Amino acid sequence: MTAKKEPAEKSAKPAKYLEIMGLHVHYGNIHALRGVDLAVGRGEIVCVVGVNGAGKSTLMWAIAGVLPVTEGSVLLNGVPLVRPAGRAVRPHEIVNLGISLVPERRRLFSPLTVKENLIMGSIRRTDREGIAADLERCFSLYPVLKERLAQRAGTLSGGEQQMLAISRALMSRPSILLLDEPSLGLAPLVVESLFETILKIREEGVTVLLVEQNAFQALDISDRGYILQTGQIVESAPSIELIENPLVRKAYLA
Amino acid sequence: MFLQTLVTGLSIGGIYSLMAVGYSLIFSILSFSNFAHGAVIMLGAYIGLALATQLHWGLGLVVSGSVVGAGLLSVFNERVAYSVLRRRRAPSLFLMISAMGCSVFLENMVYATIGSRFYAFPEFFKREVVGVWGSSLSLLDVFAFTVSIGAIFALHLFITQTKTGIAIRAGVSDMTMCSLMGVNTDRLISVVFFLAGAFAGVAGVFLGIKYFVYPTMGWVTNKAYIAAVIGGLGSLPGALIGGLILGVLETLVSTYLSSVLRDVFSFTMLIALLIWLPNGLMGRDTEEKV
Repeated sequence: MTAKKEPAEKSAKPAKYLEIMGLHVHYGNIHALRGVDLAVGRGEIVCVVGVNGAGKSTLMWAIAGVLPVTEGSVLLNGVPLVRPAGRAVRPHEIVNLGISLVPERRRLFSPLTVKENLIMGSIRRTDREGIAADLERCFSLYPVLKERLAQRAGTLSGGEQQMLAISRALMSRPSILLLDEPSLGLAPLVVESLFETILKIREEGVTVLLVEQNAFQALDISDRGYILQTGQIVESAPSIELIENPLVRKAYLA
Repeated sequence: MFLQTLVTGLSIGGIYSLMAVGYSLIFSILSFSNFAHGAVIMLGAYIGLALATQLHWGLGLVVSGSVVGAGLLSVFNERVAYSVLRRRRAPSLFLMISAMGCSVFLENMVYATIGSRFYAFPEFFKREVVGVWGSSLSLLDVFAFTVSIGAIFALHLFITQTKTGIAIRAGVSDMTMCSLMGVNTDRLISVVFFLAGAFAGVAGVFLGIKYFVYPTMGWVTNKAYIAAVIGGLGSLPGALIGGLILGVLETLVSTYLSSVLRDVFSFTMLIALLIWLPNGLMGRDTEEKV
């Protein structure tokens, strides 16, 4: 769990791959995000830490295009995904641009088999050989999935479901992976291996934006961190500094 | 006599199944009972009738034409009446009310333009019968039953084996996640409505051949609704089995008890089912059935 941080240390100012500026999102009557600024460089692991209800998941759903944005912009590689007017690129188009979300509680297609879930991940692709190669990549990451192919996703254990959720997201061959509370409800040992695979995924060239309540472990594997509090970013720094920051320690790492 | 009754029952049951499949497909993806489905079946029958009487097409072409026509009408129906409500995240009750409105609208459109006359299809089967074990079976019944089962089996293969089919089942399970996989869910819903309409087209032609073509013929889909509830709304095997069970039971009731009691029996069964077995024989657990 300590092999990390090379990319960020090489260049202090990472090129902004995903850039979020002044993002406001309303969730019914609730003003859930109040001007969030955030940037993720290519090849980075960036983590957003915050308590329940801080707006972490709202941020993820807004980037993925599911929640409408009231104000602000999201740029992927300089291309705007959200126009200031609000309704913009739709979720299925966002996937094609290379963003893939693993939502909180995984949201697998539970009546479908493991294989069918993986097919859904690659549903927009037509390169048979590439799909087969990526399937093998998932199996090398998670050999257990290969044994469970014909099983319904809903019958997998929590850890296996998380493996499938991440594999399903990788099958679209994203350039950036959004992970929303991936450690939720998993046993400590499973959490450990989960964070190890996140590092492996990054090594394969995928940028990762991670949202976690499990702040210590998430900061431990990430390059930089943001602290989200009632819909606003209150702190952003390299993860090491956040871990050592006494205020952060007190509030999030206790 | 019993075999003859059974085959008649299975053939009408097969048509019920075709119609029930349409209800189930739409219920499973949008969680509402599409009461405009009967009107689509009626329009499918008129399309078939026009092709048969005006263009003198054969049965195969008539059924194909009705499949395409009713399929497109069903998609159009969704685009005009439901998709706006869907985008506003309206509760499924609103969709159902809109569906009832569409049904009344379409029927009255037919009254206003074509009229209330009863039309008959040209005789495709010339009252041919085949003798099996001493019973004489109508060729139409055997044909309707075979085509119904075949069509439902083909749909089953489509739903389980093709990428589009998997996407439909994924959408039934979690529509938001389905769109996050890159599926255009508006288009996916159109595909489902096309399939439902296509089955309505086949059912409409068979109903028209067996009975007549008239504006309110779509009301027979109330029976298909019962069939879908017997099998469990939202379940394809359920729609098939529910349709066959209802068709056979109804025919048995009208043959051995009284034909007057037939509909009384069917609707009593619907009420009983909704009270004691609301999920049907093979349905998933849902509290809400509108």
